[in-house]
Amino acid sequence: MNIIKGFATTFKHLLEEPVTLQYPEQMKPFNPRYKGRHHLRRYENGLEKCIGCSLCAAACPADAIWVEAAENTDEERYSPGERYAKTYEINMLRCIFCGYCEDACPTQAIELGHEHQLSFTDRRDAIFTKEMLIDTPVGKAEGTPRQVEPGVYTRSIPDMPDAK
Amino acid sequence: MVKIVIDGKDYEVPAGANLVDAAKNAAGNDIPVFCYHPKMEPVGMCRMCIVELGMEEIDRETKQPVLDDKGQPKVRWMPKLQTACTQKVTPGMHVRTATKLVEDARQNVIEFLLTSHPLDCPICDKGGECPLQNLTMAHGPGGSRMVFNDKLKLDKHVPLGDLIYLDEERCIQCARCVRFQDEIVGDDVLAFHERGRSLQIITNSDPGFDTYFSGNTTDICPVGALTTADFRFGARPWELTEVPSICPHDAAGSNISLSTRLDRDAGGKAVIKRVMPRQNEYVNEIWISDKTRFGHHFTRSEDRLLHPMLRRGDTLAPTTWKDVFARVAGDLKAAGSDVAVIAGGAITNEDLWELKQLAAGLGSERLGTWTPTYGGADLVAKVGVGKGTNLKDLGKGDAVLVIASDLEEEVPMWRLRLKQAQDRGAYLVVANARHTRLEDFATQKERNGKPVSGATIRYNVGEAAHVMHELKTRYPEIAEKLAGATNLVIVAGAEGLTLDGSKALMQAAANFLISSGHVGKANNGLMSPLPGANGMGLHYMGFTPENTQHIMANPPKVLIVAQAEPGEDDPTAAAWLSKVETVITLSLFPDKTTHYATYALPIQSFAERDGTFVNGERRVQRFYTAQGPMGEALPAWKIVAGMREALGQAKPKVSAAAVMLEISNKVPAFAGCTYKDLAKVEKQFPDVGGADLYYGGTAYDNKGGLGVQIATSADAGETPAVADVTLPAVPKAKDGELLLLPTTRLYNRSHVFKPSVLVHPRVLLPYVELNEADAHKLGVQPGDVVEIAFGDDTVRVRAGINGTPAGVAVLPRELADKATPFLPTSGTIKKVTEPVLA
Amino acid sequence: MAIINNDKYTQRINWHLSKYPDKRSAVMPLLYIAQEEYGWVSPEGINEVAQLCDMDPTQVKSIAGFYTMYSEKPKGKYWLQVCNDLACALRGADEFHHDLLHHLGIEEGGTTDDGLFTVEHVMCLAACDKAPMLQCNFHFMENLDMAKMKAWIEEKRAELEKENS
Repeated sequence: MNIIKGFATTFKHLLEEPVTLQYPEQMKPFNPRYKGRHHLRRYENGLEKCIGCSLCAAACPADAIWVEAAENTDEERYSPGERYAKTYEINMLRCIFCGYCEDACPTQAIELGHEHQLSFTDRRDAIFTKEMLIDTPVGKAEGTPRQVEPGVYTRSIPDMPDAK
Repeated sequence: MVKIVIDGKDYEVPAGANLVDAAKNAAGNDIPVFCYHPKMEPVGMCRMCIVELGMEEIDRETKQPVLDDKGQPKVRWMPKLQTACTQKVTPGMHVRTATKLVEDARQNVIEFLLTSHPLDCPICDKGGECPLQNLTMAHGPGGSRMVFNDKLKLDKHVPLGDLIYLDEERCIQCARCVRFQDEIVGDDVLAFHERGRSLQIITNSDPGFDTYFSGNTTDICPVGALTTADFRFGARPWELTEVPSICPHDAAGSNISLSTRLDRDAGGKAVIKRVMPRQNEYVNEIWISDKTRFGHHFTRSEDRLLHPMLRRGDTLAPTTWKDVFARVAGDLKAAGSDVAVIAGGAITNEDLWELKQLAAGLGSERLGTWTPTYGGADLVAKVGVGKGTNLKDLGKGDAVLVIASDLEEEVPMWRLRLKQAQDRGAYLVVANARHTRLEDFATQKERNGKPVSGATIRYNVGEAAHVMHELKTRYPEIAEKLAGATNLVIVAGAEGLTLDGSKALMQAAANFLISSGHVGKANNGLMSPLPGANGMGLHYMGFTPENTQHIMANPPKVLIVAQAEPGEDDPTAAAWLSKVETVITLSLFPDKTTHYATYALPIQSFAERDGTFVNGERRVQRFYTAQGPMGEALPAWKIVAGMREALGQAKPKVSAAAVMLEISNKVPAFAGCTYKDLAKVEKQFPDVGGADLYYGGTAYDNKGGLGVQIATSADAGETPAVADVTLPAVPKAKDGELLLLPTTRLYNRSHVFKPSVLVHPRVLLPYVELNEADAHKLGVQPGDVVEIAFGDDTVRVRAGINGTPAGVAVLPRELADKATPFLPTSGTIKKVTEPVLA
Repeated sequence: MAIINNDKYTQRINWHLSKYPDKRSAVMPLLYIAQEEYGWVSPEGINEVAQLCDMDPTQVKSIAGFYTMYSEKPKGKYWLQVCNDLACALRGADEFHHDLLHHLGIEEGGTTDDGLFTVEHVMCLAACDKAPMLQCNFHFMENLDMAKMKAWIEEKRAELEKENS
């Protein structure tokens, strides 16, 4: 009797659709808060949000982030404030995708996206540089560095609408 | 000692102590402060230290404390909170620091300070080691009732000078920087402007914020309002590794901390990001000069000598160390005992020891110092300032004589501390042939509302020894005051003197000290601003200026020039260096001396290796490796050890520590100076660094060692005897010529300072200072280009008129591109009609 | 322009310097002389006073900045300080101040194009009974109205024209 019960379950599933996906052709939609690889964000005007404060590196439990800062000038401007990240690197092999960097960021410059297909053939390839991490400017916005009018960006930290 | 009560507990504290200090020392109670600093007078400006204060009630008739029902003394509490920093402890003082009232008040002060603070901590160089951050976390309200938009928006980037930036928004108006410049340095070039909310720090000096100690204001600033141009956005403080080190520039031997961090631009290697003072209350307290702070860039200069070089015809070609050692050994063997060594002042004891051993192994004792101007180091070893000396202890009843030295330019740290000694009541006498900065202080009668005493002596160039020798007859009043002082320190330099003159001056100074009994005890004795960080080390290792003179007169077959630059300093270098068959240079940079070298060997700078220096107060101090070597450079002692191995003298030691161990066993002066002994620390006041809330500031606590002071022979019980002084011939100009007086400038164009690009605007153009009458005779206006001829050489510089003695032209060394005389020399000056600077 | 080696001021400067045991005590009266010469406390004036008092120019500038009666901005020939504190305001000083600015066509703190008049409002000048009033180069002008003021302004303008021609 039990054997019939057992096979009934088996046959029932034969007719059902499979749960497995044909990855990578098929993919499951992500939870919006999924933590994949990082992105460095820009403001709408195309300037970088990152101010090179290194708080992400300080918060990182895996010591995967390396930041070196430098000073903006009006001739060569990266971010609205005084300071920008000259070097920004994340070692994806070290990263544990905990998202602490996101929490630590005072300008919401670093965000974890949904890309998770990270594979490397060389250890060095696992180090994502700033060029790889930063978003391309949206729409017609100019990229960085750029020359700007003097006296426009005088605040040390840009005014942030979301902070209010 | 008096009894006070803090938070209900009894404590014994020294009478007259500051309440904040007393609470910290006796009770371990951190009363928070912003404006108060133990090194400066309290002003009570920030109100952060407010506490409840009360006095025991005293019965006027019986003079006994009034007791309450429980038999306890009745305390009369003041109706309002009091600032603890402006209170001196008195018997029967009661303090409450932990009540609701005090906590609320502290919260309100913090909230008020933050009303207009930009809160840009993420990009602030102080963020992470900021007293305002620390105290806000400890005592702050956690939220603000103020709207963000109400904040005053001010200039964020005001250069006060070339080295210091002011962020007007961050300033909390504690006046620590203003008071530091005024009280401690004595250059009151900072001040407040406007009032109320518009109050700002300004400077109106030209060039801006012009002082040799400006960097210290950024350390004591309790917020990020003052930051250095050098470290601007260089790193976050928590990412830095602190390496204890010693300033390689002058005889003070300031203790420093090299903050290093890995750097992408340097190929991922550790580099020095900034230099911070390291507390050593005996040497530099918590201050350093700007040269110490900003003069570190030479350690990573691209111009450094990176490979061992061998002469092939007119050029030097790179080779291997193995090849060098083999060839040098061959040359040395061929030369036999006709070998000599000249070592500069910035070389370490380990290097000197190996050099000495090498020469001794070859049968030579010709060990010379560079530059051969300062004599009398042997007298510093005999009757130098006694063991345990601390210039901070000089004060009322004591006296200081500074003769033939421009301390501001030679050893700024000593000038700072001696000026403070005068503030505390010491009698300061400055004797020189010309005006110096320290003279300004000696002539003042009153400073910051307190009387100060001093005197000045002017003499003809070269007559310093005469004045010192005949002080009692020539200046009886001054001599009497000096001889009658409780403690007497004489700082004798060599400005305007020949080597004989310098030796005579030192002997005369020693005689004065011996005859007045100011030897063999702490805070008494002789000091000399010997050039370089290890002038006294050269003496203890047997290197003398007399030998250098001998070497220059009788060039040997093989000459080792170790971290010395005769080619850069001596206009006559070509004459004697070219007579040497084989010159071996050990240097940081390819320079005019390597031009004569058969072997130009790269050595490591102080930041790349371990080593020890002996400062002008004979304190042996140790520095540690901060960053990796440049190119193939080796520590000088290792290079010499390599040569010795190739000669079959000895196997190289494993480490600098092993060399020092040998030195401490073999050289009596260095007994008890092993690396382990040198690394010993003790608790110092005030407490700095760490998580201490006691007083903010980012000077570092000393973890690398306070060093060991070598005892003088007078300390050791030997009775020093007065010796005869042979007064030297005074250098005179030839008929119709001027006497060129070489002087030292702190900021110069030497190889070790040139790479500090930041300070370039402050380095003066090559100049000569003339007397008004002489300039008139020569038809020279200020700013004219003149050609100075001395011996067979000429140099073109700009002329300035600045009241030098008649017939004397002040020609600072190491400013021009060419070597200028290092001894007083006769020369002619003429105006150049086509002013082209060479 | 200078106050050092200027015969006009030598006697006064020496008198001020002789009054105090310490030269630096004379800094404030000397700053007034500098203001008189330059029309404001100019950088040259500060340096000259610093030289006379043997002080650092920074300290002199600090003093000039603290006290409101030294002006660190260039001013017109006539520096009009209108009091519009409460008592004066009740007697129409606010309106007077406004009308005066309007008549001269300048903003508060501004100077007329011909460089004659600068108008500022100040706190109480202790002449409430004679309001509206103003202080012209530290001399009081009292019981004013716009008619009086207009006539005075015309007078001064005529003087200037006469000087120029």
